[in-house]
Amino acid sequence: MNKSDKNVLVLGVGNDILTDDGIGPKLCDFLKNKYEGTELIFEKLNVGGLEILEFIQGYKTVIFIDAIKTSGGNIGDVYLFTPNDFKETLHLSNLHDTNFITALELGNTVGFDIPENMFILAVEIKEDMVFSEYFTEELASRYQDIKMKVLNILNELIPNEFLIAEKL
Amino acid sequence: MKRITIDPITRLEGHGKIEIFLNDEGDVDNVYFQVPELRGFEKFCEGRPVEELPQIVTKICGVCPGCHHMASGKAVDAVYGVEPPPTAKKLRELFYMAHFVHSHIAHFYALAAPDFVVGPTAAKAERNILGVINKVGVNIGTEVIKQRRIAQEIQALIGGHQTHVVMNIPGGVRKGLTEEQRADIEKKAKGFIDFAKFSLNLFGDVVLENKEYVDLILNGPYSLKLHSMGLVDENNKVNFYDGKVRVVDTEGEEHCKYSPNDYQDFVAERVEPWSYLKFPYLKKIGWKGFVEGQDSGVYQATPLSRLNAADGMATPFAQSEYEKMFGILGGKPVHATLAMHWARLIELLYSAERSLELATDPDIIGKDLRSPLPNIPNEGIGIVEAQRGTLTHHYITDDKGLVLKANLIVGTTNNNAAICMSLKKAAQGLIKKGVEVTDGILNMIEMAFRAYDPCFSCATHSLPGEMPMIVNIREMDGTLIRTVKRK
Repeated sequence: MNKSDKNVLVLGVGNDILTDDGIGPKLCDFLKNKYEGTELIFEKLNVGGLEILEFIQGYKTVIFIDAIKTSGGNIGDVYLFTPNDFKETLHLSNLHDTNFITALELGNTVGFDIPENMFILAVEIKEDMVFSEYFTEELASRYQDIKMKVLNILNELIPNEFLIAEKL
Repeated sequence: MKRITIDPITRLEGHGKIEIFLNDEGDVDNVYFQVPELRGFEKFCEGRPVEELPQIVTKICGVCPGCHHMASGKAVDAVYGVEPPPTAKKLRELFYMAHFVHSHIAHFYALAAPDFVVGPTAAKAERNILGVINKVGVNIGTEVIKQRRIAQEIQALIGGHQTHVVMNIPGGVRKGLTEEQRADIEKKAKGFIDFAKFSLNLFGDVVLENKEYVDLILNGPYSLKLHSMGLVDENNKVNFYDGKVRVVDTEGEEHCKYSPNDYQDFVAERVEPWSYLKFPYLKKIGWKGFVEGQDSGVYQATPLSRLNAADGMATPFAQSEYEKMFGILGGKPVHATLAMHWARLIELLYSAERSLELATDPDIIGKDLRSPLPNIPNEGIGIVEAQRGTLTHHYITDDKGLVLKANLIVGTTNNNAAICMSLKKAAQGLIKKGVEVTDGILNMIEMAFRAYDPCFSCATHSLPGEMPMIVNIREMDGTLIRTVKRK
């Protein structure tokens, strides 16, 4: 498959009815609206492991947006990870089958069309054990700031022709 | 008393924690299995139109969304007192068979096979699906992914979305199949059957031909003599989508057989102060503690217990494998925890065969997709077999169909007590005074609960995707004398 530079998938990962865990899908909705009219592809998904592998093949670049909890992290902080960081920070695995790194290695082993470029935009969250459509107050209070940071990071990652002039 | 803690440290989703207590002699005294539970789903449902629940419940779990969608769809039918037309029921079941194929392939090749193909005490770096491929060939990996993708395509086609399924509406389904689509599924179902047979052959070659593994299954620290639960059809054959729940006792005699509406007469739930999850048990026997045997109230709801609880499989190849398994393992019922992997593969074959049966049923392209709703909504219960056990959804609404109360008993919850007991037995068999607690021993303890294919928190993605464990070995006063870490 010939991949063009425009072959970019932005994947919001998480459960949008699990309080802060929905940050990825909700940011994905926001970005999709911002980039309306471009050829960027936006999808939301709440699976991991092998299913992620099945979902991302064929793209040149995939940018995941996910929630994360780190020791001592500040709620609302935004991190950018590259594959080199995956082993320690990945949030895209599935206890039911395999972790994401193993899934990627499996994809390479069996000759899958794995993306050349993968990035993870991760947002530090507080609560992901309680069902709710709403963020915690702590995350909600930083949401405008998070949106701006994520938009700016995305603008750095994607090819120039997708860039939007307006920023928050 | 010394204490060993297997602690995940980081919960991002679904991590369990195993507490192993050693007595003064250095042997295992007790084991506690704890999992963080997602909270508030029943509350989240209250006040919502009941017909929305089949869509919402797919977000409870990223591993078995189709199971929740099916149980919920059946519960909503019951709330409205409506029976879907045959085409709708068969479309639901066809979707569900693809869901089983998708899930059971993942469990066997990614979670079960590494322990047997690579070895239970092999280096952790090799004990994964890549290690399996290294041993049996890259073509297997290609086929695993291909068959899963095909199963996913069928689910997306019938269900409207591969994960967030939208097919079920009160009294039926949203859309049907064309003849072209049916023919395509028929072709794909034949591929499922071939792959399921191949997988059973692989299991036979790798496990059954290895005396050490057979001994581990039959005589290792993995047997657990409990009652068996599973959904059966009118002929007492295994059925995942519909039927009655049958429970056979530890000797294989029928303990009870009940319709979904009567589940509360047969199953009760116990709360323990040290666990987030409840412990269901057989109500007519009562809770007798975490004990094995005929007098125990604890039951299992697993692939193996489904086969124990049934009189056979409803498809020919699966029936043949069913007879072979019970023949080799000494007859019904089987209480060997690791035989769940074998049973799961037989279920994979059944799902594949049933997919073909449904794809070639003339009703499957029928146009009657939904029955009218004759009744004012009230209360309904839906039960299906999830891959991980019997799944119950129970809704009560007002007369406008707004949810007043929802109660769910999910597959893994059924097995909560049994998992605790399996872990204890494995730990007691493997951890002895003077024995170094290696990563291999930890894995062999993990094998006791991995066989259940547990889905702890019904969440979807995790860091780092496997169960991180720390084993702290402490003196009686809590002083740490040794730590074994596994990230």
